[in-house]
Amino acid sequence: MEYGTIEREVHIDASPEVVFDVISSPEHIRDWWSAETGIERVAGSTSELTWRDEASGRVDVVPITVIDVEPPHVFSFRWTHGPDETATPSNSLLVTFELTPSGAGTVLRLTETGFRERGWDIAVLEEAYREHVAGWDFYLPRIAERAVRQVAAP
Amino acid sequence: MIVIDDDLWSAVGDPTRRRMLDKLLLDGGGTATSLSGHLPVTRQAVSKHLDVLDRAGLVHATAIGREKRYRVDDAQLSRAVAQLSSVGATWDARLRRIKKIAEAIQNSPLPKKEGNDHG
Repeated sequence: MEYGTIEREVHIDASPEVVFDVISSPEHIRDWWSAETGIERVAGSTSELTWRDEASGRVDVVPITVIDVEPPHVFSFRWTHGPDETATPSNSLLVTFELTPSGAGTVLRLTETGFRERGWDIAVLEEAYREHVAGWDFYLPRIAERAVRQVAAP
Repeated sequence: MIVIDDDLWSAVGDPTRRRMLDKLLLDGGGTATSLSGHLPVTRQAVSKHLDVLDRAGLVHATAIGREKRYRVDDAQLSRAVAQLSSVGATWDARLRRIKKIAEAIQNSPLPKKEGNDHG
């Protein structure tokens, strides 16, 4: 198992062409990611993902750079690098969507890599979380227990 | 979206620091000396780790005599746990939405570019 990677796979009852359009077009990215973006489906296209919280007025902006566009098979991009930085393996996370026809539908495979390169060691954390080994499975019950105790205290 | 807090992440990303947090939670607090007695690292190393945790707001120190006693900040630890679990979980949520949108388009009565042969 590669701990530096998040991997997910999902079967979708839609053709690879439709799925590709959904994952890569700004119009649909707005729907599934709640983010406005100006990316174009061209390798090297750079833009931003912008989230606006109407209620609080808070705006979050994260750079995004398109890496690979092979309709309807592959779409990949880097994100989370600093503003005005060129995306590289050491300053960003790489998200890759791979589409494989499956019957009348599509198997969509997602990988996100780069955690280890950024020194976050998130991968190890995620593994710990997923497998419920040393560490995190202790914290949650303990925090909950403590919270309950505080609430129950006279 | 998750706003990933780099300091918080790198603070909890280290296995020794996670063990320290665990020990502090278990004992309700501790000092660099008491922690180093339970870990395969020197008191100096423990002190450095405690500084990192302190800077990330995960522990708070109070001076007792010549030593500092550390306690875990529950709220900040909860934040770290929430961020941890959301790293994987947010993609699950996004993929569910991608699936829903793509299937809605596929099943819509509007003409599509490709053949449409639902059996």
